[in-house]
Amino acid sequence: MRRIVLAATIAWAPLTAAANPSIPDIIDGHILPRFEALADTSEALSQAAAQNCDPTSADLRNAYGAAFDAWISASHLRFGPTEVDDRAFALAFWPDSRGATPRALAALIADKDPIGLDPKAYGEVSIAARGFYALEFLLYDDGLMFAGDPAYHCDLVQTVTADIANTSSAIYDDWKTHINMLLSTGPDATYRSDEEVLQEMLRALTAGLQFTQDSRLGRPLGTFERPRPTRAEARRSGRSSSHVMLSLMSLQDLASHLSVSDAALTETLNRQFADALGKLDNLNDPVFAGVADPQTRLRVEVISQSVGTIRNTVQTELGPTLGVAAGFNSLDGD
Amino acid sequence: MQTGRRQFIAGLLATGIIPKPTWAGAGSPSFLSAAVLPDGTYVLCGIDADLNITFQRPLPARGHAAAAHPLKPEAVAFARRPGTFAVVIDCTAGVQTAVLNAPAGRHFYGHGAFSADGSLLYTTENDYEVGRGRIGVWDVASGYIRIDEWDSGGIGPHDIKRLPNSDVLAVANGGIDTHPESGRTKLNIPTMKPNLSYVQDGTVIEAVELPPEMHKNSIRHLAVSPEGDVAFGMQWQGNGVPPSLVGLHRLGGEMTMMQATPVQMRDMQGYVGSIAYAIDGATIIVTSPRGGGVQQYNVASTQIMASRSVIDVCGAASTVDGFILTAGTGELASFTPAGERFSKFEALKWDNHLIPI
Repeated sequence: MRRIVLAATIAWAPLTAAANPSIPDIIDGHILPRFEALADTSEALSQAAAQNCDPTSADLRNAYGAAFDAWISASHLRFGPTEVDDRAFALAFWPDSRGATPRALAALIADKDPIGLDPKAYGEVSIAARGFYALEFLLYDDGLMFAGDPAYHCDLVQTVTADIANTSSAIYDDWKTHINMLLSTGPDATYRSDEEVLQEMLRALTAGLQFTQDSRLGRPLGTFERPRPTRAEARRSGRSSSHVMLSLMSLQDLASHLSVSDAALTETLNRQFADALGKLDNLNDPVFAGVADPQTRLRVEVISQSVGTIRNTVQTELGPTLGVAAGFNSLDGD
Repeated sequence: MQTGRRQFIAGLLATGIIPKPTWAGAGSPSFLSAAVLPDGTYVLCGIDADLNITFQRPLPARGHAAAAHPLKPEAVAFARRPGTFAVVIDCTAGVQTAVLNAPAGRHFYGHGAFSADGSLLYTTENDYEVGRGRIGVWDVASGYIRIDEWDSGGIGPHDIKRLPNSDVLAVANGGIDTHPESGRTKLNIPTMKPNLSYVQDGTVIEAVELPPEMHKNSIRHLAVSPEGDVAFGMQWQGNGVPPSLVGLHRLGGEMTMMQATPVQMRDMQGYVGSIAYAIDGATIIVTSPRGGGVQQYNVASTQIMASRSVIDVCGAASTVDGFILTAGTGELASFTPAGERFSKFEALKWDNHLIPI
C-alpha cells in the first residue's frame, strides 16, 4: 500500500515575539496581589458570617461585597491553580441559565441537608450551590434570604462563606508556588518559553474581555425585541454595573503590563478603556435595568461596543507583538 | 469509492430523456470551503483537485462548514454558530435556490449531512431554552422544507457525518451548553459530558462517552473511514495539557485514544479544528489553527507519524493520494507522495472547514 505521509517531521516554528513584557512584574504587580486580596477578604467574609449570619447584617454584606470585588478583579486569571478542581466555578457559578443555583439551595434548605453544616464536606455539593453567586441568593434573594429554618439558614451562610474562604486560600497558596512555573521556562517545563507564558496572559486578557462583553453586558441586553434585565449579573445585590467596572479596570492593568514595550499601543488601549469606563460611569444604572428602555438600552449597547473595540485592538495589535497571530481561524474557536 | 459511485449514479440518471445536471457542470469541484473576502463579505467556494477555484458564491454572513448533495451539484452552506440560516446553492448556475431558517428557539451549529439517497438533509441545532441538542430533518425535493426534528443524544451537537452505505448518522455532541443571548460563553464546563452518538431514523442507537477524567474534552469534529470507523477531534476545556485530542470508535465497539507526547500535545494548544481520514483509512490528519500546525496519526499504531507547522491552518480533506489543507492566510496546501504544493489566494481567508464532494 502506498503510504501517504505529510512530509518529514518538521519542527514547529514558533513565531518569535518582538516585545518583552516582564513576567516577574506581571506576577508581583498583577497576579499575586489579586489572589492575596481574594484570600484575605474571603477569610474576613467567613469571620463576619461567623459573627453575624443575619442576611441583612451590614457587616456581613460589606464583607461579602469586598470579597466579591476581589474575585471579580481576579476572575480573568483562569489558569493554573485557579482552575484546579474547578475552583473558579466553585467560587463563581455564573451564568446560571437554567436556574441551578436557587434550585440547589432551596433543596438543601428544604431538606435541612446535613452537608450544609460542614464546610469541609460542602465541596461535594452541586457546584451551583457554592460560591459568591449562591451566597447572593442567601443574602439578597427575596425568597431564599429568609427561607426555611432560621438556624439552618444561618449555618448554611456560615458554611458557604467558609467554603469560599477555603477555596480562595487554596488558590492563593498554590499560586505562591505556581509562579515558579511561569518563571522557569524550558524545553521540558510547563511553559517552553517566555512567549508561551505571555500568550497565556494574553488569553486571560482576551477571555476576560469576551466574558465582560458577552455575559456581563450581553445577557441583560438580550435582543432588542426581548431585553433581559433580570439576567444581569448579581442584580439582587446591585452589583451588575460595578462588576463591569471592576473587570475592565483589572483587564486594563493586565493590558498595560502586556503592551509595555509599545508606547503608542499602550496609549491606544488606555484611551479605549477610559472610553468604556467613562460611558459606564455616565450610565449610572447599577443593574442595567434600562436595557428594556430604547433610550438607555442604546447607551448599554454603546458600552458593549466600546469593549468590542478593546477586544479588536488586543487581537489585531497586541496579539502580534506577543507572537500570537490574529489568525482568522485561530481566533474563531469552534 | 465515493466519487465513482456518485458518477455512476449520475450516469444512470443521465440515461433518462432529460439530462440531469451533474457536479461536472459546476466545473467539477472536488471540495467546498467558506471564505471571507478583503471587503469583509463572505462566500462559498468550489475548489478542484488542482487547487483552482471553480466557483465563488456570496453568503449572507459568516459560514462555517457545508454539505454537498451526493448526486446533484447542490451544496448547503451553514452559518457559523449561533447563526440561524443555511443557504442552498446550485453550483452550476451559481444561484441560491433555497434558504433554510432555523425554527424559533433553535440555531444551527454549522454542520450538516445528507441522507444516502440525497432526499433528506440533517442539521445539528441547539434547542437553547432547554439546552438540548437537536437534529433538524429537511426534505430536499420539496425545496428544503423542515419535516422533523430529533434529539441529538446530548448537548451541543457540532459535526454530523453519515456512515458509509447506511443512513446511520454519527453526531459529535460536544457537551458544551451555550445560549445565544450570552454569545459564545460556555455555561456548563464543570459538568459537561460530551458523547459520540449514532442516530438512525430519529433513534439514538448507541452513545459512547469519554472516560470521566476526560469529561472536559469536547468532541467536535468527525471523519469517517471507508469501513465506517469514526475518528473524532476534540477541544480541551480543562486545565493544562489534555490526555489526548483524537479518538476512534466503531459502532458497537470501544473508544480508542490516539497517543501523543506531551510536547506533541502542547503543539496543538488543546484544540483540533478539523479531522480527516486518508483515502485508505490508514492515517488520520488533524489540524490546529491555535497551534498553527497539522499532525498525522498512524491508525494502527495510534502514534503520530508526521507533523508540520502551517499558520492558521484549519480545513483538511483527503485526496486520492494525499491531503489538502486550507488556512486563514489564504493558503491551500496539497501533500502527495510526489511532494507538496502550495497555492496562496491573497484575496481569501479560508474559513474553518474543507468539505470533500
